[in-house]
Amino acid sequence: MSFATKSLFSEQLVFKGLKQGLTLFIPEDKPFTHWLGVLDEQLERAKSFFRGGSILVELGERKLSPRELSELKAVLTKYQMTIKAFNPLAKKLFSARMKMDEPAPSGVLLVKGTVRNGQRLEHNGDIVVKGDVNPGGELIATGDIIVLGVLRGIAHAGVRGNVQAEIIALTLAPVQLRIAHIYSRAPEGMEVGQGPEIAHIKGETIVVERL
Amino acid sequence: MAARVIVVTSGKGGVGKTTTVANLGTGLALRQKKVVMIDTDIGLRNLDLLMGMENRICFDLINVAENECRSFRQALIKDKRVENLFLLPASQIKNKDALTAEQMVRIVDELKEEFDYILIDSPAGIESGFENAVAPATEAIVVTNPEVPAVRDADRIIGLLQAKKIYEPLLVLNRLRSDMVKKRDMLDVDDINDILAIKLLGVVPEDEQIIIATNKGEPVVFNQQSKAGEAFRNIVRRLEGEAVPFMSFNTEPGVFGRFWKMLHGR
Repeated sequence: MSFATKSLFSEQLVFKGLKQGLTLFIPEDKPFTHWLGVLDEQLERAKSFFRGGSILVELGERKLSPRELSELKAVLTKYQMTIKAFNPLAKKLFSARMKMDEPAPSGVLLVKGTVRNGQRLEHNGDIVVKGDVNPGGELIATGDIIVLGVLRGIAHAGVRGNVQAEIIALTLAPVQLRIAHIYSRAPEGMEVGQGPEIAHIKGETIVVERL
Repeated sequence: MAARVIVVTSGKGGVGKTTTVANLGTGLALRQKKVVMIDTDIGLRNLDLLMGMENRICFDLINVAENECRSFRQALIKDKRVENLFLLPASQIKNKDALTAEQMVRIVDELKEEFDYILIDSPAGIESGFENAVAPATEAIVVTNPEVPAVRDADRIIGLLQAKKIYEPLLVLNRLRSDMVKKRDMLDVDDINDILAIKLLGVVPEDEQIIIATNKGEPVVFNQQSKAGEAFRNIVRRLEGEAVPFMSFNTEPGVFGRFWKMLHGR
């Protein structure tokens, strides 16, 4: 996977305004520390422009170690910048990726049985339901939501702003879907799909696709 | 002898809780079980009317709770048609706050030793009246109608019952109209099972005999000609552990998706 991210002065990083927000592209070649140095210099030159900004970071296939992540954060913090989310371009389902939820997600919440009307489950991390979510039931997760049954209630994935979050159900028939800051209602007259489906953000809308 | 303590509840009002209690109580007593029905719908009591016992009330549940009568025996009204059938009526002048969950547990504990079945008629809603009705129960029957709001409320109630450790409530689907189901104008049994996913105890068809029975104060379970009466007799047998096949209403199988679309505009 390669991006047209190198500028003419190949030793400079590219910032692009995507729909999700201003995105920093870090190429996949060369060591990460190299690009950190480049980033540091670049920001130093344009301090006032970036100061206080919140950006997205596109890493492509590169995986960051916790140490690299904290180094990246350290550089950005120096210029009072924060990371909103990672990899806005990623389309791959189930790709391993960093989640930017603070505090750190506390793993997966496994719910056994039906989530009924009036029941609301909130979890810092991912939620997996072994059963149905009935109308009036609510799932709220900072990470992904997976329903091994019929999702008829409300699901809010990536509730703290993780636009990478996904909602998966064996049958997706929700009242409402919410991912990060985007809310969506099933369009009028839409048939309930047969078979498992996945909802995620594409551009500025939530799209549902067959899994 | 330790009684089975069963609360009959629904969330939504008017779905047939009291009718169910009156018929199950009568039906069980007809099978020589010793039954007491407790009406906890304080301030809006109806069970005495359905049983035709209104004119015989002296003491009520609140009097028993407040120790204003010698014992609960003084408040119990004995049915004149069936042996072993008793009613502990609700108070009509007080309201739901007049009773506590602790009092209900104590009263049921006293009754337990003398009866086979204690049926508790719960008020509508999920407030203190519901809490009081559920507190002493170890089993529950959820009554619902084939309508979206009734099913929603039943779902809510099942969640609340499970939070109170009644994990396997039984479902009674009341007022089903097979003609409407056939035309796909009404939720089918399968559609409701899909959502609620609890064990179905019985399906009671819509039957004008119920209205007549209610006004006469004579539970429809006595009526051998009534379809609803037959349905309640079957429910009683299932409650007693018999395997009774479900009555056929000539309905076509699941049309859930279609209904969902119709009812939710998508």
